[in-house]
Amino acid sequence: MDVSAIFQIAGIGIIIAMIHTVLKQMGKEDMAHWVTVIGFVVVLFMVVRLLNELFQEIKTIFLFQ
Amino acid sequence: MEMIQIVGLGLIATILILVVREQKPIFAFVLAAFTGVYLFLFLIGKIDTVITMIEHLANRSGIPGIYMATVLKIIGIAYIAEFGAQIVRDAGQESIAAKIEFAGKVLILVMAVPIISVIVETVLNLLPAGG
Amino acid sequence: MIKLAGALLVLFAGTMIGFYQAARFAARPRQLAQLAYVLQRLETEISYGYTPLPEALQRAAESGVEPVAGVLREAARRLAEQPDSSFRESWEAAVTDRWSDTAMRANERTIVLRLGPVLGISDREDQMKHLRLALLQLKSEEEAAREDQTRYEKMSKSLGLLLAALIVILMM
Repeated sequence: MDVSAIFQIAGIGIIIAMIHTVLKQMGKEDMAHWVTVIGFVVVLFMVVRLLNELFQEIKTIFLFQ
Repeated sequence: MEMIQIVGLGLIATILILVVREQKPIFAFVLAAFTGVYLFLFLIGKIDTVITMIEHLANRSGIPGIYMATVLKIIGIAYIAEFGAQIVRDAGQESIAAKIEFAGKVLILVMAVPIISVIVETVLNLLPAGG
Repeated sequence: MIKLAGALLVLFAGTMIGFYQAARFAARPRQLAQLAYVLQRLETEISYGYTPLPEALQRAAESGVEPVAGVLREAARRLAEQPDSSFRESWEAAVTDRWSDTAMRANERTIVLRLGPVLGISDREDQMKHLRLALLQLKSEEEAAREDQTRYEKMSKSLGLLLAALIVILMM
């Protein structure tokens, strides 16, 4: 059971939140928002990849009769 | 024992989600979705064995294959609709979840129409003709 | 095992980069104050000591600390070794040469470079006027640098560590 991906996503989320706070305190709030959006997109890619795998499996098992 | 692994993973994911939620709620939602998908993927392999067995039985009992296929597809639609609706409901979008469930019901009905018409015809044939 | 070592290495490198940037932010106002000090010393030497420029530069350099004093010492050295080139050339060469050793930036470098032609050509009163002007400008730069330092020093340390952690997690 390869669970590292879940820890990866949680870790990325926490670190992006911290970077957002630090940048906001430095005064560069717009860059903070950019970083958050990019981090979210990266995580989204990971999720979509897994979702695709899931739907492929479902198609194979249930519908490919 | 896989049950323990699954429960453990669910607990850890829940804790992580709670931690991340107050920082960036969007990441919490993504994490929840990801965990759900991951667990589902893990289980699909097991479901496959059950389904193959059911297919085998159905073939041996002589039911036309098309019925088996339809039933399986309906089960698949039900699973996916439930999964999607639950994830969306988790994010707080109750209306979209309701729409997903509604779509599932409609599609199942659409798939079931041929079977229903066959049943109706059979029943009509059983009734004494002309009476 | 190798993975863990690599991750630790990346974390260490990122943190060190953050600390290095923080040190630069901390050093800048300090060096600006030192620069003002040696220029003040130069002014004193010129106005009260009537010392000729090469010697005045040398004495001012001795009163200061590295790396700021290095600039003046280099200027004095070039003056002594190349008597043909003008003061301005020696000054500019020395400043451009040694500036990267300091943590100071382009603003103050322009201020210092502008002193070159003045010190080489004009008379004593003019030199003193220009030195005092430079000292005033450096003072305002120093205040701005202190503000920068309070804002950015701690932040760059944290940012270095956080970015390194992000890279480690992405590569995991």
